[in-house]
Amino acid sequence: MSSEPPLNILIVEDEVLLAVELQFIVREVGCRDVGLAMSSDEAVELASQLTPDLALVDVHLQDGPTGVDAARRIACDCGAVVLFMTANVLRLPEDFAGACGVVGKPYSEHGVKLALSYLETCLRQGQAPGPPPIGLHLSPAYQRRWGADYAMTA
Amino acid sequence: MTNVKAAQRAGRALDAEHATDDPFAAAIRGTRMPIVITDARQADNPIIFANDAFLGLTGYGREEVIGRNCRFLQGPETDPATLAQVRDSLAAGQDVTVELANYRKDGRLFWNQLFVSPVRNDAGEIVYFFGSQFDVTARRAAQDAEREHLKSDIHVRARELEAALEQKTSLLHEVDHRVKNNLQLISSLLLLQTRRTPEESTRKALRSMLERVGAIATVHRRLFQGGDVQRFDVADFLRDLAADLAASARRDDLQLRLDLEPVAVPASQAAPLALLANELVSNALKHPYPEGTPGVVTVAVRRYPEAFDLVVADTGPGLPPPTERNGFGLTIIQLLAQQLKAKLVFEDTQPGLRAVVTMPTPP
Repeated sequence: MSSEPPLNILIVEDEVLLAVELQFIVREVGCRDVGLAMSSDEAVELASQLTPDLALVDVHLQDGPTGVDAARRIACDCGAVVLFMTANVLRLPEDFAGACGVVGKPYSEHGVKLALSYLETCLRQGQAPGPPPIGLHLSPAYQRRWGADYAMTA
Repeated sequence: MTNVKAAQRAGRALDAEHATDDPFAAAIRGTRMPIVITDARQADNPIIFANDAFLGLTGYGREEVIGRNCRFLQGPETDPATLAQVRDSLAAGQDVTVELANYRKDGRLFWNQLFVSPVRNDAGEIVYFFGSQFDVTARRAAQDAEREHLKSDIHVRARELEAALEQKTSLLHEVDHRVKNNLQLISSLLLLQTRRTPEESTRKALRSMLERVGAIATVHRRLFQGGDVQRFDVADFLRDLAADLAASARRDDLQLRLDLEPVAVPASQAAPLALLANELVSNALKHPYPEGTPGVVTVAVRRYPEAFDLVVADTGPGLPPPTERNGFGLTIIQLLAQQLKAKLVFEDTQPGLRAVVTMPTPP
């Protein structure tokens, strides 16, 4: 993994202290934080400009509960994999708006690091290394895509 | 026609027995209450007398009703079960009162509160049936209207309650969302300051506070996950907490063993129990372990009929000397145990320390 370029990550979060903390975490797991968006328009614009590998998206943004919509546009139009980071896990649509999964707030530093490392492996190998770590829930579509749905049959 | 003649004859005979100056007969003939008398001894029980009130109620002429069985008043809405009730009572020689859908000559329905009683002769044989009618159409209509009104009232109330519930649910989600976000914010603040603090002792203190906030945050993240908002799953929480603490302690040399039986506590006890568990587990993870010996931290939950044990054991240096037993962590542990009505025992297991918290399980 060391020979490969770091994963580019876009942070979409309107709470600036959380965003700054997320930037630290992203760097500490060896990824690169390429940008920070606080509203949905900004998020989609940055996603299409910077073409990140992964976007961490909060549901509540500066322009309201627009994160779901932004996630859908980022996933469909910009080709980035989206991970929701939200306290509103129950309010996510059934199809996760095309996102690969969700980390529920309040998350721990460690929980986010585990989730990012896991997703990095999934993205690079196109396959899950095992069941997702505690705190990370994959969408049904991505469970199938990465072969992580054995967790349900186990 | 012979039937009609027989009925007319019987009617005249009855009339003859009761001259015009018979006050009882006059009352029956003149009352506003519709009344018929039928002849029980003739075939098919024909009407032999009908007063003016009956003719007024039904719209028939006297010659149209004498000699006929009362069933000409029935129609499509007449309830067969009610008719059977009348038949059965009369066959048993008993009085009967029912409400029956009947029809006037012009076809209009009216609700007939019908009272029928047998009339016996001196020998005790039933010779006549006496039937009185009472038009209760207006009362039934009022009742129906009242029922409809109540029904629509209930619908309106149900809709109001649904709307109120929806509002409360979304308020609950909103509050839950804010609590979680604020806990996240507090965690981030502590983490950010930890990163900028050069002094080791301050950083340690901040880390400890971060862990405590993290434990409460984990409680809140878990509380709304299950279907039951009132109950808190202790085993699931401990699995989550121990993994988090072990990872942030960066102790690759340590082995974490979990042996957790399922126990649920009321949501109100979740935060204090979580904080208590956090102190115990995080203490165990911080101990220096002797070189060369594998450090093992065990977190167990054992369930008994009326209590459960939370056990946190390690293979570290055991109980610290009494002079070092006054840390803030220990104070928190003792206070929370008191709040939870839990019994707290520390055992020096040489090597290692074993903390057992025995908590009563709620009914």
